[in-house]
Amino acid sequence: MNSGHQLAAAWVYRGIWKRLVRWFRIPDQPPELPAGTGQNVQAFRPSEGFLGYLKFQFWIWLVVSDVVLIGLWIALIVAQPMIGLLITPLALAIIILPDVAIYIAIHLRYDTTWYLLSDRSLRIRRGIWLIHETTLTYNNIQNVKVTQGPLERYFGISNVMVETAGGGSSPETGGMGPHVGRIEGIDNAEEIRNLIMSRCKLAMDSGLGDPDDAGQSTKRGGWSPQHVAVLREIAEVVRG
Amino acid sequence: MGVGTAARYTEAQANEHNPVFHDTFSKTDAVMNKDAAPSSAPQKTFDPQKIERPDPVLLKYYALVSLAAGPLFPFAFIPLLCKYITLRYQFEADGVSMKWGVLFRREINLTHRRIQDIHLTNNIFQRWMGLANVAIQTASGSAAPEMTIEGVLQTDSLRDYLYAQMRGAKGLDRDTVADEHAAAEDDSVLTLLTEIRDNLRIRLRAEPGAVSAGITGSADSIGFSDSAGSAESTRGGGMPE
Repeated sequence: MNSGHQLAAAWVYRGIWKRLVRWFRIPDQPPELPAGTGQNVQAFRPSEGFLGYLKFQFWIWLVVSDVVLIGLWIALIVAQPMIGLLITPLALAIIILPDVAIYIAIHLRYDTTWYLLSDRSLRIRRGIWLIHETTLTYNNIQNVKVTQGPLERYFGISNVMVETAGGGSSPETGGMGPHVGRIEGIDNAEEIRNLIMSRCKLAMDSGLGDPDDAGQSTKRGGWSPQHVAVLREIAEVVRG
Repeated sequence: MGVGTAARYTEAQANEHNPVFHDTFSKTDAVMNKDAAPSSAPQKTFDPQKIERPDPVLLKYYALVSLAAGPLFPFAFIPLLCKYITLRYQFEADGVSMKWGVLFRREINLTHRRIQDIHLTNNIFQRWMGLANVAIQTASGSAAPEMTIEGVLQTDSLRDYLYAQMRGAKGLDRDTVADEHAAAEDDSVLTLLTEIRDNLRIRLRAEPGAVSAGITGSADSIGFSDSAGSAESTRGGGMPE
């Protein structure tokens, strides 16, 4: 019973997903980052715990709102039985449909959230109606924050906030300001933070300002493979 | 997008780091443009420098957005129409500028290397029309993006172009790899040098003069020509023990 139920849910969800991709032009593929040779791009999504976290919030919201709505409806039936019975379909629709829609939206939100890390930059894409994609390079990162609430701790997830210079907040980024890359709901926050921090440290000119990197790149290293070969020969010679 | 564009960007960067190449390339480009002759390769590649005006689809989108204002449609639409008519983009080798406005004119200039974040947003209507907003953030304190490029159809290409130009993305396939190699080589050089130093110290301490003998011996074993080897050996033999 349970498996059949789940299969049906999956089938419905896949159908909705296909419609969304076709009608609403939601990209079906994960985002890409242009990377040079020898670079690896790592794409990942929030962990399963994030889905559980969102659903937990959803159930709380559902219970509270439906208790209120059903209470109002019962009160109406008691006060005006005729009107109360007449609006039954409407009341049921108001009570049930938003819940279904929100439940599906949670799954869609989860499935449309992508995080990409390359050797030089990170890209975050999220959204269903309004798809928002942020690209920033490690060179511009000022600090990395990790946050976790008690409920998030229960689900084993945390958020990594990557901040660049500049202030201000705007409602479209959830009051977080436009200079933030939010990697939400991941279960390996430590790992991701260490990865980002190590790459930030690799960049010699992190933060503001822009030293002349054209000259720097030619000077870097100073030992060519030939040098090393010659030195190796010398070592052989001395070793006898 | 993908491999082709990535290759093209690295090529562009290579040109940028090599001014001679860059000059010759741009000259050939100019010649080709002047002749207006279709070259052997069709110009499918994305060239932001040719973008000056937003695409006409943007006007449709503005009309659609203004419809949301209902009876106030003219009040919503006329400013947007003015913006559409006067909007001019200029993509240059090291910066972007855009200007618009009839009564109040605005012009925004920024350099590629000050770009911090690129935000690509598109709502459902924009996706239907193939549009998107490419918002560019610098480190200034304002919450609103410093520049929002609207009405460009190849938004993905534009975003990738800007990404390739922005701070920290330069030399996409050179710097990190070079860093890793440099680090590895530094280590090997260091170990080799310490080995040489230690060997030399030990040998010189044990028997002075052994180092030169060692050099000649190994030169022979590596396979120098006979005459050179003999010359070396004689010279080595001539050394006072």
